[in-house]
Amino acid sequence: MSTASSHRRARLVGAALTLAFAVPASGCATVKPSEREVLSRPEMNPASEGLEEQFQSHVESAREGGFGGHGAAGGGCGCG
Amino acid sequence: MTSMKSMKPRRGGAATALALGLRALLGLLALLVLTAPRPTAAEDRMTIRGNYYREQSTRVLAPVVYVEKDIPDERFTVGAEYLLDAVTSASIGAGAAAVTGGDYLFTEFRHETTLRLMSRQKNWSFSGFFRYSTESDWISRAFGLSAARDLFNRAGTLSLTYTANFDTVNKIFAGRVLPHNSTGGTNLQQVNFIGLGYTHALTRRLLGGLLFEGILATGPQDNPYRQVRDGLPETHPLERRRGAISGFLRYAVPRTPLVLEPRYRLYADDWGIVAHGLDLRAHVRFLKRVILRGRYRYYTQSGAEFWAADGYYPSDAAYRTADPKMSKFHSHTPGGELTVELDGLARLRGLHWLRGAWVQATYNHIFVSENYRFGNARLGSLAFSIPF
Repeated sequence: MSTASSHRRARLVGAALTLAFAVPASGCATVKPSEREVLSRPEMNPASEGLEEQFQSHVESAREGGFGGHGAAGGGCGCG
Repeated sequence: MTSMKSMKPRRGGAATALALGLRALLGLLALLVLTAPRPTAAEDRMTIRGNYYREQSTRVLAPVVYVEKDIPDERFTVGAEYLLDAVTSASIGAGAAAVTGGDYLFTEFRHETTLRLMSRQKNWSFSGFFRYSTESDWISRAFGLSAARDLFNRAGTLSLTYTANFDTVNKIFAGRVLPHNSTGGTNLQQVNFIGLGYTHALTRRLLGGLLFEGILATGPQDNPYRQVRDGLPETHPLERRRGAISGFLRYAVPRTPLVLEPRYRLYADDWGIVAHGLDLRAHVRFLKRVILRGRYRYYTQSGAEFWAADGYYPSDAAYRTADPKMSKFHSHTPGGELTVELDGLARLRGLHWLRGAWVQATYNHIFVSENYRFGNARLGSLAFSIPF
């Protein structure tokens, strides 16, 4: 692998980590339970689309190099 | 002076003392469970989903049924899932020609069963699963464990997940099932996944989350049927280290029924692939019981270091691939989803059993860049979910 490519990847990972820690640090203020009416709507629930996401993930892991590796796989379809 | 009561265990011997101790411990545990504050019972629910996938040379029909039951409430929940993958490939698909020996349509069935156990205790939740998947040339066994802790008066949740796959990779040749070892000494592919996630209610209308993923895969990772342009077999490295960081926001727009959801994922691995995935979603509850979701996803990746665009490799190349997933490409995916909650119908006589039920239709279309061999694809699904 070339040095330029390694540097580019290191910069990407650095930027991502900075973003990752900056966002939660700015959001440590606690929203009180009495203020969570909107947050309790079904559309706000990240877990509400589990089964649909499961199929999407399966397809993406069969078609994309940057996805998958954490579910059942198979070779029969020839896409593994 | 020793009382008669305290002498009893000693008179019965060590075994009796152990039995009494165990009984006391079990009694204490039972007391703790029975006297713990009872959370509101979550729903017992059954969901049936029919999935459809179509690309240039492959069609997949994948019905799945999932049942979840609290025993007796959300402190302990059991879930079971069965999925059937019916994959029909034309001979252009890697593998089909090798198995059928010619230009035929070829249908392969994969059966997948999953058992899940979940428990919620105050601010903690735990879950575990075991999954078994089998088809003619591939057997997969996987298990996973997960723990999550609510923080900041339940404004945030920190979660840690570990899963492991143990897959047996075979190839079918002249009607016989043979182990596929690639360049290694085993046909066992092992995958270890670890995920660390955090979700936080940032404001009254804004939810945000982050997830770090790390994956180590060892064993054969190439397709046993696929060949590069000069007829040599595909050969991938026997080890792959993968990492990803992703984040999402969900924002409820004031005075509208609209929820916006941007997602972003950055991925890199030691095969040289760097990928970016940007997913924008809008959820609109435009009637009391109807939710429409629009979606657009952009995905782009660089090629693996050993990818050759023209498909030719020198005879002494350490690695060779004809896998389109290893190429540089990008894709656009627009999609829509319609969910109708059936509580309105439940008011009619004889249909009260539909209370809490919903139906859902989803469609996504993947447009890929011209150089990508799998081509464009269509994904659709129909689902029905009902509590019981």
